[in-house]
Amino acid sequence: MKFVVCVKQVPDTTEVEVDPETGTIIREGVPSVLNAFDEFALNVAVQLKETLEEDVEITALSMGPPQAKEALTKCLAIGADSAILLTDRVFAGADTWATAVTLSRAIKKLGGADVIFCGQEASDGNTAQVGPEVAAHLGIPQLTFVSEIEKIEDKNIICKKETDEGFLRTRCPLPVVIACMPTPGFLPKIPNMREIIKGKRKPYEEWTFKDIGGKEEDYGLEGSESVVVRTYSPPPKGEGIIIDDEPEVAVQKLMDYFEKEGIL
Amino acid sequence: MAKTNLWDERDLTEEQKLFKESILDWAERNLPLDRVIKMNREGHPFPPDIIKGLADLGVIMGTVPEERGGLGLNWKDQSLIAEVIGYVDPSIATAAGFMAVSTGWGFTIDRYANDVIREKYVKPAINGDKFIGIATTEPGGGSDVSNFKCTGEKDGDEWVLNGEKTFISGVEEAKKIGGGYWVNVRTGPKEPGAPHKNMTAFFVPIDSDGLTPAEPYDDAGRNAISTGGFIMEDVRVPEEHMLGEKGKGFYYTMEGFDNARILIGASAVGVTRRILEEAADYIKERETFGNPLAKYEGIQFEFVERYIEMEASNLMVKKVAAMQDVRYDEEGWLARTNKAQTYSPKEIAKWISMIKYKVPHLAKDTADDAMHWLGAAGYSSEYIFETAWRGVMSYCVGAEGGANIQKIVIGRETLGPDYVPYK
Ligand SMILES: Cc1cc2nc3c(=O)[nH]c(=O)nc-3n(C[C@H](O)[C@H](O)[C@H](O)COP(=O)(O)OP(=O)(O)OC[C@H]3O[C@@H](n4cnc5c(N)ncnc54)[C@H](O)[C@@H]3O)c2cc1C
Repeated sequence: MKFVVCVKQVPDTTEVEVDPETGTIIREGVPSVLNAFDEFALNVAVQLKETLEEDVEITALSMGPPQAKEALTKCLAIGADSAILLTDRVFAGADTWATAVTLSRAIKKLGGADVIFCGQEASDGNTAQVGPEVAAHLGIPQLTFVSEIEKIEDKNIICKKETDEGFLRTRCPLPVVIACMPTPGFLPKIPNMREIIKGKRKPYEEWTFKDIGGKEEDYGLEGSESVVVRTYSPPPKGEGIIIDDEPEVAVQKLMDYFEKEGIL
Repeated sequence: MAKTNLWDERDLTEEQKLFKESILDWAERNLPLDRVIKMNREGHPFPPDIIKGLADLGVIMGTVPEERGGLGLNWKDQSLIAEVIGYVDPSIATAAGFMAVSTGWGFTIDRYANDVIREKYVKPAINGDKFIGIATTEPGGGSDVSNFKCTGEKDGDEWVLNGEKTFISGVEEAKKIGGGYWVNVRTGPKEPGAPHKNMTAFFVPIDSDGLTPAEPYDDAGRNAISTGGFIMEDVRVPEEHMLGEKGKGFYYTMEGFDNARILIGASAVGVTRRILEEAADYIKERETFGNPLAKYEGIQFEFVERYIEMEASNLMVKKVAAMQDVRYDEEGWLARTNKAQTYSPKEIAKWISMIKYKVPHLAKDTADDAMHWLGAAGYSSEYIFETAWRGVMSYCVGAEGGANIQKIVIGRETLGPDYVPYK
């Protein structure tokens, strides 16, 4: 069985600041990390592999600049069996559509996969579009907001999908794209030194657009359907009010406030 | 972790970045600073979950070749790991116990031990199931390594060991989880003018008949790991417990010191980095007379001085690690190729003594400064500084060799052997 896990290297959002003039993220000196949603997806894939009797090969796949190799090296340490970085100037400036085109063509070149895992979203763009678009390009089903995979049996996957009301236990035939949503308090596997060293020895390849075929204009900025008109930080919301009192007093104060403001 | 980040990762390899990330992630879950402080308040023996955790993480004895249970790491990698461990635990209990002692000496034991000792003690120690350490120091003194009184006499297939070892790290830990020590004894007469001859190293299990552990010392710092000692009365060990060749113990010991001291230098860089980061967080926030403390030159310039010294030390450690990698070839054995002749062991020892002297003192002085910068808060154990200060002081006063002994080595190699003070 073949799993592909799509991952992205993102700026460490705990340290990101936005340039107030240009509205863009200041990337200089900000460390890059493996997108936490993708790390969760990889952890889910690795755990699933451990429960399956048949052989599973996990390929970590990323599109990005050459330094995104670091994120893939981490995937190999966590448990991916091989990794491919799609890196080419032609891919630069891609929106979610062009990214999904690139990833899905690479997956086709790999001969497809039984399960394609991705994170629900990337912490830098938060669009949550790439996974579903990959499914669309490949013409296969998708399950989003997946927090847990129960099992794979008879070429079907059974998993738990978070909804606003609770969760859905869903069965879906393979092949499928699974967009994973980390459960609260989830602690990703910390690769140890031995796994890191072993990971470095696993197969790693870099592919350019020539490797996956198609025309240059399918990719990157040219292949993108969306146009960014402006990015900006919303103005600060102003100071909130904190009522720190015994419950009865606090509730009364809150009611008084609602009344004063005409909310009630 | 501190908000201030003084790491510069750009000169790290991809693997090193991941080593660092994993250790920091592990520490965030298992060994945050408040636990370090608590562990040092509660005292030894070392918490078993931390020993096992460090072993599972793979930070102990990484330089041992892969086929013998290690990771076959080079010294550049192992010293980066040591630096991160020092950063994670500035009390240096972890660094002392499991980096310097277990890794520096464990690696050296592995080099000279036969497969029996390797299987029975080294491998389990790598896995965190046993503790192995070094016992050279005696009640008569630690600096004069050639002048020890413990003896070993051959009796049939066995050696009979007698004497006392003192100020030995990890005795309580070894008692608890099993393990043993590299012990130096005299196995022949003391030759006039060459007292270092006829010293032999043995591996002595802590549970040997005739070995009585002493009460642990009540040390000023690094309290999460014990310092103790033991008396040997007719302790019998088989011939296979001899490390290397008879009569060569002094030379192996010097090599072991080198291997431990480089990791001490590296871990003290990490301690200094953590102290500076934690202190920076505070002095950037705390205001006096309308300004953050960090804006006052009296504090900022001291901070900067320490930062410069830390990065200079870091470069020195990297140089020394590179020298070590020339010294040991790929298999982890003393290289006998021409390449190795680039540095003589004595030259390497000089550089190692330079970092063993310089960096722990820097870490201690930086902790001292940080306590001044913070005032009363810095003096309290709410912050890490006093715990760090007391911990790294052990490396200044004596652990793995006193300060003046390092200077004697450096003086000998720079001014010449005629100027060795005690000759
Ligand atoms: C916390 C801790 C843990 C330790 N763990 C271990 C361990 O695991 N195993 C082990 O074997 N030992 C251990 N030691 C002992 C350590 O190796 C010795 O402290 C060290 O070698 C110095 O020996 P000493 O303390 O007997 O001091 P001494 O040898 O008595 O020296 C006292 C002082 O005089 C200085 N001095 C000595 N000779 C000269 C000279 N010729 N010229 C100028 N100055 C000189 C020394 O630098 C030192 O400052 C530990 C020590 C400490 C503090």
